[in-house]
Amino acid sequence: MGLEERLPEGVITTTLEKLVNWGRAHSTWPLLFGLACCAIEMIATGTARHDIARYGSELFRASPRQADLMIVSGRVSNKMAPVIKRLYDQMQAPKWVIAMGICASAGGPFNNYAIIQGVDKIIPVDVYVPGCPPRPESLLYALDKLREKQARARLKAQAPSSPPAEEILPLGA
Amino acid sequence: MPLDVSPKFRPYEVLPSLNVPGIPAVAPLPTGETQDTRRIQERFGDDVLAAGLHVGAQVVYIRPTRLVDLARFLRTDPRLRYETLVDVTGVDRLELPVPEGEARFHGVYQFRSYSRRQHLTVVAPAEGGDRPRLPSLTSVYPGANWPERECHDLMGILFEGHPDLRRILMPEHWPNHPLQKQIPRGGEEVPFTLTWEDPEFETLGKQILPAESVPPKVPPGMDSRRHLIINMGPHHPSTHGVLRLVVELDGEDIVRVDPDLGYLHSGFEKTAESVRYKDFVYYTDRMDYLSGMTNNFGYVLAVERLLGLEVPQRAQVIRVIMAELQRLAAHLFWLSTHVLDVSGTGMSLLMYATRDRERILDLFEMACGARLTVGYFRIGGVSHDLPPAFRDNLELFLQVMPQKIDDYERMLTLGPVWEERLQGIGVITREEALDMGLTGPMLRGSGVDWDLRRDMPYSGYENYDFQVPVETAGDCYARYRVRMEEMRQSLRILRQALDNLPDGPYLADDRKVTPPPRAELDLSMEALIHHFKLMTEGFHVPPGFTYQAIESNKGELGFFVYSDGSARPYRLHIRGPSFNNLYAIDHMSRGHMIADVITNIGSIDIVLGEVDR
Ligand code: SF4
Repeated sequence: MGLEERLPEGVITTTLEKLVNWGRAHSTWPLLFGLACCAIEMIATGTARHDIARYGSELFRASPRQADLMIVSGRVSNKMAPVIKRLYDQMQAPKWVIAMGICASAGGPFNNYAIIQGVDKIIPVDVYVPGCPPRPESLLYALDKLREKQARARLKAQAPSSPPAEEILPLGA
Repeated sequence: MPLDVSPKFRPYEVLPSLNVPGIPAVAPLPTGETQDTRRIQERFGDDVLAAGLHVGAQVVYIRPTRLVDLARFLRTDPRLRYETLVDVTGVDRLELPVPEGEARFHGVYQFRSYSRRQHLTVVAPAEGGDRPRLPSLTSVYPGANWPERECHDLMGILFEGHPDLRRILMPEHWPNHPLQKQIPRGGEEVPFTLTWEDPEFETLGKQILPAESVPPKVPPGMDSRRHLIINMGPHHPSTHGVLRLVVELDGEDIVRVDPDLGYLHSGFEKTAESVRYKDFVYYTDRMDYLSGMTNNFGYVLAVERLLGLEVPQRAQVIRVIMAELQRLAAHLFWLSTHVLDVSGTGMSLLMYATRDRERILDLFEMACGARLTVGYFRIGGVSHDLPPAFRDNLELFLQVMPQKIDDYERMLTLGPVWEERLQGIGVITREEALDMGLTGPMLRGSGVDWDLRRDMPYSGYENYDFQVPVETAGDCYARYRVRMEEMRQSLRILRQALDNLPDGPYLADDRKVTPPPRAELDLSMEALIHHFKLMTEGFHVPPGFTYQAIESNKGELGFFVYSDGSARPYRLHIRGPSFNNLYAIDHMSRGHMIADVITNIGSIDIVLGEVDR
C-alpha cells in the first residue's frame, strides 16, 4: 500500500469510493465449496505453501450470505447448475465470480451431455482462469486481476446481481 | 421447470474424421475351460450359452432366466465361494453386427472369490430387445443395489425385483438413458477459430440460460411426519464435494441416510466412446482427481491386456513408484480432511500433511510436468523417463517421511478427541462388508485379508515385500489404522522399487502402438509413417472385452473395456471404488448421531469425481 511513506503526516485523504474499494479488494471472502479437480488446487492455494491468506481471502465462508466471491472450481453438471445458480443468488452484492479452470470457463474436455459448457451460461463471470487445473499461482493471479476490477468499481453503479428477466434468452436461441 | 440443456441444445454434429473406424466386430466367444466353468456347466447344462477363457479371464454366458440361480450357486457352493459381486454393467450392442434375433443389451457381472483368489465374468443377454430386462441380483448380493441402479440410469436396463430402482446419477427428469448407442454424446461444436467479432463473445461473462431452482425432494420411504428430515449438501463443507445426503432423524438419532449422487456426473463413459484409446488416459486423471496416477494405471493395464502388450521392466517399476507415491499423497489428503472434519487438531494437521503432499506433487511435476492431472502413463509404458534429479529427491522424501507419519499419528492419538470420535462409529462386520461389495481399506478394516496388489498382482507387485494391514474392529478407527499402516507399507515398496530400478526403455518398442522416439523421425521414413498413422488414426485393438482391476488407494478400481476392433473403445465402464464404498453410508450411520455422518464420510474416503464419473 505504501502507507508507511505517508505515515509521518498522519493524515490520508482519499475518496470514499477508493476507501471502500480498497477494503473490498483486500478482504474478498470466497464461498467454501469445491466442484471437481480444480477444487483440489483451490485447497492447495489455501494451504501452507501458497497461502491465500496473503490476499486476505483465507476466510472461506460456508454460507453464501457471508461470501463475496464464488470460485467455480471445476465442471458444472446439469444437475449441479441450478444449485450453483441458487448459491449465487443467495450471495449479497457486491459479489464476484471466478471461473477456475477450462471446465468452468468453457466446458473443457467434457464436451458432452452431462456438463454445461461454461458456468457463464448460468451466472455472470468476472475472471476466467485457463488451465486444467490452473496452478495455485494462476488462481492467485486471478485474484490480482479481480482486485484490479474491484478497484475500478463505482459505488453508485453497482452491477445488478443478475440480468433482468427479459434479457434471459430461451433455450436454443 | 428445472434446467434442461440436454442434447436438444445445439446438437453436436459428428464431423467426418480421419479415423478409420475399422470393421466393427462382436467379441469372440470364450474358449477352453477351467475348473469353475466346468462346474457351472455341469450344473446349468444348456442354460450356459458359452463358457471358458476370454482374454485370460473366466467368462460364462448364461441365459437370463437362470441368472439369479447362477449367482446363488456361485455364492453358496462350497467349491466356488464367490463372496462378492464387484461390478454390474451393461453393453449396448446396437452398432455391432449382431446376428438377427440376438439380444441387443448384455448385462456384465464381475464376481470375485476372495478365499480362492478367483475372478469370474458373467454375461447375460437381456430380454426385451429395446426395452431390456434382467433379473436383479440384490437378493443374493445386496451390494448389487447401486451398480444396478447406475446401469438402469445410464443404460436403461430394467432390473426386475430391485427394491429401489430409481435414477441415481442423472437428474430425475432426464429424457433418456445416455449410454444407449442411439443417444448422441451431446455437447457443443468447438469453434477452432474465433475472432472478437464472433457472436460467442457477446454473451461472455453474462448469464444466458435460466437455471431455476429445483426444490429438494424427500426420497421415497422417508417419514417426514414423524421424523425430521435434514438435507446435507450438495453444498456442504464436510461432504467432500458435491454430495447430497438426505438424513432422516428421530430426535438426534439417525434413522436413514439417502445419498443423492450425480452432481458431478461428467459422462466419462460416453466420452470414452468417442476418443481414441490413447487419448482417454488424460480423462482418467480427472476422475478420481486425488489419484491421477492410479487411474492412469488401471486404464492402461486394461488396454494393454486387450492388446497383449508387454511393458518393459523399467516402465513397470516406474509405474509402481508413481502409484505408491500417489497412494501416499491421497492418504495424506484423506487424513488431513478427515481430521479437519472430526477433531480439534484440525487445521495444523491439514497444513502439515498438505506440505508433505506438495513434496510428492513436486516429484510428479519433475516426472511429467503436472501436479494433479498427470497423464503420465502411456499404453506401453510411461511418457518420459525419470529425470536425473528424481532419484535424489525421492531418496530425500523417503528419509523424512516415516518420521512424519509417526508424528501425525502421535498428534492424533495423544489427544482424547480423535479416538473418542472414531472408535465404535460406523461398524461394518466382515459379512456385511462382503455383502455390500466394499473394497480397499473398507474391506481390510473389517477383517478381510485382501489386496489386489498381493493377491492378483499386476505390474510386478509380486516382487515386492510388503504387508497388507488388516484390522478386525470394522469401525472408523480400524480404517484409520489400516490407512496409516498402508502409508508405511507404501514407503517400503518405494524403497525397494528405487533400489531395484532397472535400466532400459521406458516405453514398449511396438511401433503399432507406441510412437517412435523423436530423434528417429528425422532419419527414418518408416518411423515418420508410423508416427503419422498413430497420431491421426490411433491403433486398433482386437475385438474382445476385459475387466482389469487394480488396488487404488480407495479400493478396487476396475476398468471394463469392450473393443469392437476399431481405434476407440466401443464401451468403457469404470468401477469406481468410492461409488461402491459410499453405498455403506446408510448402514454405517443408522443409530448414530448426525455428527457421525461426517466421520463416516471421511472414513469411507470418497472423491466425488469418481463416485459420479
Ligand atoms: S478444468 Fe481440468 S482440472 Fe479443472 S475441473 Fe475441469 S477437468 Fe478438472
